[in-house]
Amino acid sequence: MAVCTGCSLLCEDIEVALKTGAIEKAKNLCRKGQGHFQALFSDRTVPSVEGGETSLDQAIEKAANILMNAKDPLLYGWSNSSLEAQKVGIELAKKLEAKIDDTSSFCQGQLLERVLKGELPSCTLDDVRNFADVSVFWGADPSNSHPRHLSRFSYYPRGSKRQKGYEEERNCVVIDVRKSSTAKLCSDYFRIPPGGDAEFAEAIIAILDGKMPRFGDKKRMIGLASIFKKADFGAIFPGLGLVYSLVQKMEIFENLVARLNDVSNYKVVPMVGHYNMRGFNELMLDETGYINQISFKNGVHHGSENSVTMAAKSSDACLVVGSDPLSALPFVIARSLAKSQLVVIDPRRSLTTDAAKVVIPSAMSGLESGGKAVRMDGVRISFEPIFESNLLSDEEILTRIMEAI
Amino acid sequence: MGIDLRIITFRDIFQYEAGKKSRFSPEFQNLSAQIIMDKDDMVQLGLKDGQNVCLENEMSKIVVKAIQTDDEPHPGLAFMTNSPWSNQLVKDNINDRIIPDFKAILVQASASNESVTNLAELLERLRH
Ligand code: SF4
Repeated sequence: MAVCTGCSLLCEDIEVALKTGAIEKAKNLCRKGQGHFQALFSDRTVPSVEGGETSLDQAIEKAANILMNAKDPLLYGWSNSSLEAQKVGIELAKKLEAKIDDTSSFCQGQLLERVLKGELPSCTLDDVRNFADVSVFWGADPSNSHPRHLSRFSYYPRGSKRQKGYEEERNCVVIDVRKSSTAKLCSDYFRIPPGGDAEFAEAIIAILDGKMPRFGDKKRMIGLASIFKKADFGAIFPGLGLVYSLVQKMEIFENLVARLNDVSNYKVVPMVGHYNMRGFNELMLDETGYINQISFKNGVHHGSENSVTMAAKSSDACLVVGSDPLSALPFVIARSLAKSQLVVIDPRRSLTTDAAKVVIPSAMSGLESGGKAVRMDGVRISFEPIFESNLLSDEEILTRIMEAI
Repeated sequence: MGIDLRIITFRDIFQYEAGKKSRFSPEFQNLSAQIIMDKDDMVQLGLKDGQNVCLENEMSKIVVKAIQTDDEPHPGLAFMTNSPWSNQLVKDNINDRIIPDFKAILVQASASNESVTNLAELLERLRH
């Protein structure tokens, strides 16, 4: 059995057979996972400096040189690397007195930090499968982002306390601004206007407090509050829709969760996207007391100025590991990165590798190199490489850069 | 004549899969350089399904394909996948918020005879 590192569900039941240059047979891989495995065979990177192909040794030497001579380096990415590689990355940031940040800064960081610090109650996805009778996807569309979430854990499977079919024993609630693929499958879909998440949460709190809701269809809102109250075990899966909407009002969500726990038992599992974002955040929390946005210049400093979205403009050099910020970030930030001394460690070609001064090809984590990672719910998963490769892992490349520095 | 739209980005498994195969493929461009629009908004702009629409704000200007929604009416709202195309239009007013407005991209939309903005052009913009 192989582990899929296509998303933070880290499915452990994958069976694959290969023929030259393609997957011959695959069992249990979703479409997203299929794309992830298929990526082995296209757009692979080669070592390069200033756009010209070179040896791996020279690329590593040049990368070390750029980072060593930078006044204000930023080390970014990490969510697609194993825990072992992330540990070396944090050591490298300390050695360089660099800024270090990951994708959580502009996605699930706010919620995950609360979960990791015990400020929001959480549980494992196995608990959800075994006990949950209400699953709430709020601003999340797992059918597109985590395609096996519903079938492995949150809606369709039978669990130790949920032996009957999902139609009888589970409610799946979707709260979203559009009728997503998941909304089409769920038992209860609530459409909200963009930015209406706070009012929706407050309306549910009002009903739980015995007041009339001032938002939405009153009858349906009261019906939803009743589903929430009757639940034995509810799981809320917040997605980016909720996070972006409540970005400076997250206490409203915390209040709702607390209120729901007065009437029943509710847990929160943020819909972390990349396969090991949570792992990086856990390591950073242990090391610094914060999950991201750290500068190691003269000690440990935390702040938004160290986030990739802000540091990209001030840093003179950036090491990107396993990420494509030039595709995923706003153009102005992407352009700042493109103009810095950009060093990229990545198995595959991307907009970011195309703009980089130095590209170092790496083994695809989970496919060509092994390690450990933390699933979205905090469960540690180990994986072995399933394909032979001569490529170095992120961990090995980062260790060599450390040694060169 | 143009109309104001708020664009919300979303995840699409088909676009993800295409991007995994290659960020430089026509398939990835086709699935990224499109905007899902309300039927009435498209009528207002004289657009038929699959015709080109120009999206412009103070950050940038791009041309993408307009796709008619199969959802309930959502006038004034439109949806794009997160990609180098949608990111052209995301504002830079981050300051202490640090999270860019990926789900509140305000643009002026108008029908366009120009061809869809291609990746080579976006890469060129990144370099300058
Ligand atoms: S759900 Fe995620 S981890 Fe599981 S097979 Fe699909 S992409 Fe891979």
